[in-house]
Amino acid sequence: MNPVDVQSLSKTFETKEGPILRKTRRSLTAVDGISFSVPKGEIFALLGPNGAGKTTTVKMLCTLITPSLGDAIINGFSVVKEQQKVRESLGVMLTGERTLYWKLTGHENLQYFAALYHLQPSDSKERIEQLLKLVGLAEREDTLVENYSTGMRIRLSFAKALLNEAPVLLFDEPTASLDPQSSHLIRDLIRDLKREGRSIILTTHNMDEAEVLSDRVAIIDHGKIVQLGTPAELKQKVKTSEVIEIEARNISKQAVDAIQALSGISKVAFSDVNGEKPVLRIHAERGKEILPRILELLVREKTAITNVSVIEPTLEDVFIEETGRSLRD
Amino acid sequence: MRKISGIQSTIEVLSAIAMKTLRYYVRYPGAFLLYLVMPFLFTLLIFGMGGFVGGSEATTYFTARTGTSNVLIYEILGSSVWMTSWVVVEDVGVSLRNEQMTGTLEQNFLAPVNRFTFLLGLSLADIIITAGIFFIVVGSTIWLMMPTAFLGLLQAYLVLLLGLIPLFGIGFLFAGFVVRFKEPYTFVQIVNLLFAVLTGTYYPVTVLPYWAQFVSRVLPQTYVISDMRQIILANERLVNLYGGIFVLLALALAYPIVGYAVFKHLEKRASITGDFSKY
Repeated sequence: MNPVDVQSLSKTFETKEGPILRKTRRSLTAVDGISFSVPKGEIFALLGPNGAGKTTTVKMLCTLITPSLGDAIINGFSVVKEQQKVRESLGVMLTGERTLYWKLTGHENLQYFAALYHLQPSDSKERIEQLLKLVGLAEREDTLVENYSTGMRIRLSFAKALLNEAPVLLFDEPTASLDPQSSHLIRDLIRDLKREGRSIILTTHNMDEAEVLSDRVAIIDHGKIVQLGTPAELKQKVKTSEVIEIEARNISKQAVDAIQALSGISKVAFSDVNGEKPVLRIHAERGKEILPRILELLVREKTAITNVSVIEPTLEDVFIEETGRSLRD
Repeated sequence: MRKISGIQSTIEVLSAIAMKTLRYYVRYPGAFLLYLVMPFLFTLLIFGMGGFVGGSEATTYFTARTGTSNVLIYEILGSSVWMTSWVVVEDVGVSLRNEQMTGTLEQNFLAPVNRFTFLLGLSLADIIITAGIFFIVVGSTIWLMMPTAFLGLLQAYLVLLLGLIPLFGIGFLFAGFVVRFKEPYTFVQIVNLLFAVLTGTYYPVTVLPYWAQFVSRVLPQTYVISDMRQIILANERLVNLYGGIFVLLALALAYPIVGYAVFKHLEKRASITGDFSKY
């Protein structure tokens, strides 16, 4: 049996919306019948844009949210029926830095959670020192967490997830808001954990992270898994296309529609992270041949082009192929 | 990695939660100072109002209704029990709310610790806090104003300890409201103010209307305050107060069971609605 076996897991939230006294009930399906397994020693990524259902999935796996339908078996225990056993089998790092006690020191935080995970007090002392050293916080163990940088807090949160040496680890956006150096450290540590035989599920909306770190990736959108496979397998699905990436300012909707209408173009996705970096990703059968026509069209639409490249497909292109949208939308 | 189980792990968890809560009190000492000052301020308020209403005859009326002329000790005992009950009823719920706001509640609920142990750990810290409040406020007052009654302090504290158990039950109930509905302050503060009105904090419950006296009989503070006054002011021995002690024991059984059952029900609802992480 695999350490993680997810069977048709679904979650529907009932919400009330509208002004007071005229509120109406609404159902929102955050996760819609997903199934997957994670064998021992595998890194499995759930990749998708914000709101795709990744965090809800993780919260169901770690017993914080009760599934509406389906079940997941963690280390042989059901998340619906055997929650305490599931909790014993898991190390979890939820997203964000506010998962720690800011008025406690780094050492005190780990000491507290070591007790909650029933570690033998004599062993926990050694384990805490080992983990603090591992995440580079040994020198700052007696500093209050409120005086840590964001990166330090996330590293401490990561160490907390490793306290109980659980066979299954869940990391929700483990490198979000980290500097490149800390991200690199966390990714290396995740690879070491895989080598130790842990089963690791991580959620990310960073396609590069999913690609370099994961053995298999499930691309999730609107609560459903739209593609599942190794990064290489998934990218093969868009291999017939070349990908043209155009960075530009003032990209109009008319321009996007006009490009989409050109023959030989299969998909066009536009993303603009925080209004700072508008990017067009265009899937075409013969990208280099069609590029002059695309550029001519953009110039005619008075688009200020800053960079153009023809690249190999990435996991983002798998997502575009499936949904017609960019991961960064 | 070796793990512990059974009673040893429960003790480790309880002491870790209590220690964490106490560290927070030490690093945010403002609340503790407030709890120390409030009983004195409320007692002063009662003094002022008594003087205003009763004039030069205020003490005479007071003695006739309470059986003691020691107004200060009478009021400070009521005040300190009220403050203690305020801490206990508010603290479990407010602690959970704070954990919810800062994101640590989910971290605690991810751990393989049953919820009762978790709530009990939060309550244990309160026993230490309330002992501090009680011994500083009541101890210092008695030591200065009525040193002969100082030995009764320990017996009075035993009554308080017994009275804390049903109060924890009320605290668990509020903790459930917090997890499910958020916004603990409205409920807790209204109820805590009602407790002051109904439990004989500043006057004997016999002055209340009959229906209010009936309500006061199911509130543990009524018995704690009354028994404490008997011990300190009337030099009564604890064993002779078995009537009130018996009721407190019954309440100590009933309130935590009801409080925890409500908490578990609301917690289950919260895990369905995803409320643990909502503000």
